[in-house]
Amino acid sequence: MAKKVVEIENLVKRYKDLIALDHLNLAIEEGEVFGLLGPNGSGKTTAINCILALLHFDKGSVKVFGEEMQPDSYGSKRQIGVVLQNVAVFEELTVQENIDYFCGLYVQEKQVRKQYVEEAIEFSGLENFRKFYPKKLSGGLLRRLNIACGIAHKPKLIIMDEPTVAVDPQSRNRILEGIQKLNRDGATIIYTSHYMEEVEQICSRIAILDKGRCVASGTKEELKSMIKMGEKIHMEAEGLAPYQIAEIKELRHVYQVDYRDGMLEIRCSGGKHNLVHILEYFGSREIGFGRVYSELPTLNDVFLEITGKDLRDHAEVK
Amino acid sequence: MFFRLYRYGLIRSSRDRMMIFWNLIFPVILGSLFHVAFGNYTDKEVLFHRVPVAYVQEEGADGNFALLLEALETENGLIQVQKTSQEKAEKLLREGEAEGIFFQKKTGAGEQSLKGLSGQENSGISLVVAEQGINQTILNSILEQYERTSATFIAIGKEHPEGIQKAAEVLEGEYSYLKEGSLGDAASNSILDYFYSLIAMNCLMGAVMGLQCAVEFKANLSALAARRMAAGASRFRMLWPDLAAKVTLQFVCIIFSVSYLMFALDVPLGDQWGFLLLTLFSGDVLGVFLGFFIGVCGKMPYQMKEALCVTIMMVSSFFSGLMVSGIQRLIERYVPVFARINPASLITKACCSLNIYDTYGRYLENMGIMLALTAALAAGSFLIVRRERYAGI
Repeated sequence: MAKKVVEIENLVKRYKDLIALDHLNLAIEEGEVFGLLGPNGSGKTTAINCILALLHFDKGSVKVFGEEMQPDSYGSKRQIGVVLQNVAVFEELTVQENIDYFCGLYVQEKQVRKQYVEEAIEFSGLENFRKFYPKKLSGGLLRRLNIACGIAHKPKLIIMDEPTVAVDPQSRNRILEGIQKLNRDGATIIYTSHYMEEVEQICSRIAILDKGRCVASGTKEELKSMIKMGEKIHMEAEGLAPYQIAEIKELRHVYQVDYRDGMLEIRCSGGKHNLVHILEYFGSREIGFGRVYSELPTLNDVFLEITGKDLRDHAEVK
Repeated sequence: MFFRLYRYGLIRSSRDRMMIFWNLIFPVILGSLFHVAFGNYTDKEVLFHRVPVAYVQEEGADGNFALLLEALETENGLIQVQKTSQEKAEKLLREGEAEGIFFQKKTGAGEQSLKGLSGQENSGISLVVAEQGINQTILNSILEQYERTSATFIAIGKEHPEGIQKAAEVLEGEYSYLKEGSLGDAASNSILDYFYSLIAMNCLMGAVMGLQCAVEFKANLSALAARRMAAGASRFRMLWPDLAAKVTLQFVCIIFSVSYLMFALDVPLGDQWGFLLLTLFSGDVLGVFLGFFIGVCGKMPYQMKEALCVTIMMVSSFFSGLMVSGIQRLIERYVPVFARINPASLITKACCSLNIYDTYGRYLENMGIMLALTAALAAGSFLIVRRERYAGI
């Protein structure tokens, strides 16, 4: 069994009447890229701040590398790299100076630090911007600098809170590849994002938070299997009779059939070979059909299914 | 680690253009404006330097006054006496080499002063001055004090010879008062008070630097601080170099502006360099810790804390006499407790007392209060930030 890097048990955090974390339980294992998903205000950032011992919490415990986290748990903190949601660098220092400053909070030996700084610059693709001040960098470069400052000291655990917000696709792709490389090099990563495709692409395990609770967790496949919606099949078929539609609905795993303007949409709850069964039915009844394509459920479908489709910013807007 | 972070602290602060303007350029501009407004006064005055005076003593005259002048010259350092002939004394006065002439005749002989502020027939001493000013007032005070003292002494000797010993003790006390109080007041210069207050304000400008330090240290005030607080280095190992860098840079700014006042504008701030530097450094540290304390206290947003910092700095400087001369004395009279803890007043009074008093009693008193205030602010700040976790970020 893999070693647990982060253990959160029954964590409760209140902001006056608002419960930000409601008996949250999480366990993150060594070598994982662990995705934290959730709508706005679901408690992702609060959970991260509790892990880093920046926030008071009302109840529960947070252990990192087996040690209860306290503000002065410097031993554990030395093994953590942090990339916060907001860019946190010194405006008055250049790219290289910023990385050296933050790396120096963890690594004392000058030669080693120098090498780490170089590697971080190379990793984030900032070789041509060493002497630039942050205000001269584009949004994507700034985000990459933010990441470089957080990972330069080669931490064992990297916490990334929405590191790709407002980043162009090229920069985002580079960042995601970098995260995967860090993971391959042995780092455990906690990753929060609003971008489902990112989480789906890089995370080995995912927890979905809603209203401060962990409402679902597991691998992508496990999460997808949790929801009713499975495969969605579209077929062009002219002149289907109502009894034929009723027969299709009786097929195994099919739970919903819509037929409109010659286009048949069949939703299956799960299982394999759904398309084969449907094509067999069409063949046996000698019904002609045109284009056929099927869609598997995405993480976005899972997310919306679990957290609901209502807007979550009402209270904040009000 | 300390020196590396200290170096980065210096680099960061020195690249902060707003800080450079307010802490380095602004005091110089303000000092220049003060100089334009009060320049003539400060150019002509030779305050806190010995007042040169000529002394003409007629043969056979009483030697007591000569003894007093000698004591004031050697022990007090208030005047510089040149005993000479009448012709030479008048020449010195005309050429501006002396601020006045004390003429002493044998008792009973009168002397007509040219433009005497005071002339006493009984003692036979008169003061002759070419113009009126604070130095002449000092010379007049010396003469008046001597006249009053000797008259009192003679009267007691005539009427109550048995009380002469007690009278001597009382008069000794009066002489001390003259040294510590009256002469001090006489030597103070309301124009110089503006410059001292300006220096005090410059010291307190370190508060904004201290506040910046807190902002970069409190995770609920900035993302940068959150990143630093999540780092694997002790909070205080990060804090000390930062504070040291801010104090250093602010001290450089203060030295620069004070040097500008003294050497470019010729503002007579005295010649006690060592103590003056010590005062400026103490004021600098007090300013930085004042800002740091404001920064770490409470949950106010940064902008409000900055506004509070600037308000405290300006109010403190105002009541030390930055804008209205003499207000410090009014505050001392009517709100003595505030006068005792007002940081700008403490700095102003410490600088001022170096030039007014021969003894260091008042200087040490002000420095002691400054040190105590700094220690209290530092202790309070460290207690707050030690192992601090936040309710919200």
